[in-house]
Amino acid sequence: MDALIVIFITALIGLFVGMMKKPNLTLFLSIIGLSAAFVLMSYYGKYNSLFNNFEGLAFDSFHWLFAELVIGLTLLIIVGGFHYFKKDVEHTADYYGLILFSLCGALVLIGSENFFMFFLGIEIMSIPVYVLVGIKKQNILSSEASIKYFFTGSFATAILLFGVALVYGATGTFDFSELSSLFDSNSPMAIVGILFVFAALLFKIGSVPFHFWSPDVYEGSPDPVTAFMATVVKVAGLTSIVSLFAYTFGAATDVLLPIFYVVTIGSLFLGYLSALKQTNFRRLMAYSGISNTGFAMLTLLSGNFITLWVFLLGYTAATVGLLIISQILEKSNSDEIVNWKGIGYKNPFLGVVILISFLSLAGIPPFTGFFAKLLLLINTYQSNPVLVYLTLITSVIGAFLYIRFILNAFAKDSNAEKITIHPLHILVLSVCSLVVLSGWTLILF
Amino acid sequence: MELLILPLVFALISYFIPSKGVKYFGIIASLAIFAVTIGHLMNFDTKEYVSIFDPKTNLPFGLTFKLGYDSLSFILVLLVNSVVPLILLANFNKELAANKSFTALVFFMQMGLLGVFLAQDGMLFYIFWEITLIPIFLILYWFGEQNNNSVLLKFFIYTLLGSLGMLLSIIVLGISASSFDFVDMAIYGVIAPAKIACWVACGFLLAFAIKIPLFPFHTWQPSTYTTAPMAGTMLLSALMLKMALYGMIKWMIPLSFTGIPTIKWLVITLGLIGVVYGAVIAVKQTDIKKLFAYASISHVGLIAAGIMIYSTTAIEVAIIQMINHSIVAIGLFLAADIIESRTKTRELYALGGIAKLAPNFGFWFAALTFVSISVPFTAGFFGEFLLIKELFTAHWFAGFAAATTLVLGAVYMLRAYQLSMFGAPKLESFEDLKWNEILVFAILLAIAILIGLFPQCVIDFVKPSIEAIQELTAHDLKIIK
Repeated sequence: MDALIVIFITALIGLFVGMMKKPNLTLFLSIIGLSAAFVLMSYYGKYNSLFNNFEGLAFDSFHWLFAELVIGLTLLIIVGGFHYFKKDVEHTADYYGLILFSLCGALVLIGSENFFMFFLGIEIMSIPVYVLVGIKKQNILSSEASIKYFFTGSFATAILLFGVALVYGATGTFDFSELSSLFDSNSPMAIVGILFVFAALLFKIGSVPFHFWSPDVYEGSPDPVTAFMATVVKVAGLTSIVSLFAYTFGAATDVLLPIFYVVTIGSLFLGYLSALKQTNFRRLMAYSGISNTGFAMLTLLSGNFITLWVFLLGYTAATVGLLIISQILEKSNSDEIVNWKGIGYKNPFLGVVILISFLSLAGIPPFTGFFAKLLLLINTYQSNPVLVYLTLITSVIGAFLYIRFILNAFAKDSNAEKITIHPLHILVLSVCSLVVLSGWTLILF
Repeated sequence: MELLILPLVFALISYFIPSKGVKYFGIIASLAIFAVTIGHLMNFDTKEYVSIFDPKTNLPFGLTFKLGYDSLSFILVLLVNSVVPLILLANFNKELAANKSFTALVFFMQMGLLGVFLAQDGMLFYIFWEITLIPIFLILYWFGEQNNNSVLLKFFIYTLLGSLGMLLSIIVLGISASSFDFVDMAIYGVIAPAKIACWVACGFLLAFAIKIPLFPFHTWQPSTYTTAPMAGTMLLSALMLKMALYGMIKWMIPLSFTGIPTIKWLVITLGLIGVVYGAVIAVKQTDIKKLFAYASISHVGLIAAGIMIYSTTAIEVAIIQMINHSIVAIGLFLAADIIESRTKTRELYALGGIAKLAPNFGFWFAALTFVSISVPFTAGFFGEFLLIKELFTAHWFAGFAAATTLVLGAVYMLRAYQLSMFGAPKLESFEDLKWNEILVFAILLAIAILIGLFPQCVIDFVKPSIEAIQELTAHDLKIIK
């Protein structure tokens, strides 16, 4: 709660400070605000909130870990994206304000305890992102992405509302803890209701069959915004999916299971298989994100939050690092994979980050990605071995994809140039690499 | 624990050494690790198990992270730590040796290999097994031939696919035994239903067969060996495939014991097909590096077949053969590289008469050729003889097929030697061996002759731990016989 308030106030102050057109000051303020929020959230996780009894919002045993994760990720993104935001002095503060408002939404979504807060969270999270996607006003791709995302997104919201209404009609309550006892899996109205809710959430995290927007939108938006969508939005969405459908609506498992299989297997295969043919880096990351969503969805079977957290930690750290590098490399708005040729060889620091991020995404030990997938497979094997075999096959496809990319990035004979890297970027990339390298040690505690 | 940490520390340090000194640092550091290993050897009683890391706390998901060695693991640790200095020494006068990344990657590789041989926890075994893939991949990529992307991609994906099979097996065993500790998994392995055990064995086999490589899974190997730099080829053939053979002895057979009878003859057949197939292709090869690559397939096929017999003698002898194969691989690939780097060609028919131009090279190459075709008083003689005998005891035809290696091995090795070294000189000049190359050849020959004269010392060394592994599975041993 306190964290939420601090972030909201920081965002407001940031918008006013933005009028002075001093980007460094805005960055400084946001960093202070987010760090304070981070500390307050840890305090909350350990002891409790300074303010009690917020209606419908609670970060219990695991949810606060996810809240910490999204706050940390936002911190990395705003610091890593600073260079980009600064280019547009008129609107620097807009970026910070919108990202922080969206983060508030993500926190509300993660901590929501009833459908009212849940809906508020989704909306507060999404609307700033619609704006952020279209913030490159001169760029036609950006405008297209924004329109596309906004229309489909609002449609998904409508479906979500419809679903919530149906669930309310069947049970007569919004509250998740009451719903879990009142929910009757024989009532068709309730089933249709939760399917609608499920569909809307799948749209938000960009999972098959509602994934079509994500490559286009990722391609059109600025790199830091892509990083925000690929990590923070996904983390918040996946957290609420798992807590809703593994716990609150646990009674409906039998009905959901076939749909769940289709969604997971579809995401796993479609993501990596489509990624094989991509020539644009952000489209590649979008498809890789679809597959990783499929991986994360496997936790629905076991409802194990720790596994989900470690997986998301590995995935998001690698993704943020790579998208920040993509932003460093970006020239004349072209984001082709060809631009990456030889980058790793000419710039050893970037090379190391690219190498370990991709190896972690491919699931090679000793990186976080491997341990996350290992826990995932151990959990899943107990309930469904066949899913594990399929997951392993997709891992091979993914590894092929990522290794091919590494080979491209480390090509010796290329005219890649040596790039001077801003100290802030070095800082962010180091943090990402450190998490990718040793984030798995956290499972030992 | 210092066994595992030292290589990692040296890998990091080598980045801070000035380029001029890196090659000296590499040799000294690898010798230091070797000295530490000797120190361990002095205090080591072959009958005991030495634990070097055991956290003893309850880790989640039944992970234990146990590290330790018995005599079987230790002899391979010794092998790794003595081969790495040799590889660095063989590279000493090349451009590569002055490269920081190269030295660092070799030490990183050494760390991974030691981890594989020291791991007493299934998951740790897998982790180190995969870690070794990263440095070798980078060595092949950065220092290998240009434009070998497709070869590397094939190598990486192939090995990764195999490893995932093993991962699946380890997960199945670990969940069933609710612990990834070797002993717990082995206890479960003895009582596991034959059907599950058979699939588990197949999972392991996929990883090992690709790494060894056994016959239908070998397609990555010749192209990878040929495009790799010399050090990469040596690491791959002398050390990396030993992980797979060791894995068969230590992990696959005890952990899926009830399933082994089903696949025993499958593996032996594949191994023996590899023996004949590799040798026949080697006879027709004109590319000297490819020839040695196929010869390697032929040699390791025999070892794999021998291991599947799973009698005490067969495994002991297989270990001698593993050491012998390391010696031969380093020697022959060094010879191939000497020829390639000085004449810029690997074609046998473009060579000839080198023995006249470089008598030293002629002598040492001949010596290694004889080690490779296992003449008496070299390590290979004893090893091959007993392996063939064991296979013969199991089935006469297996023994017969294995014995062809004696004839065909002599054919392709002597042909390679004769075409390149004798005949009318086709080259104008050939620089004779440098001191470091002579030193490597001499050390290799000394070890080969030493083991050839006293094979019993190796056998006595590994016997206790092999008997211990067999005791774990003893009450079911009659099924396999």
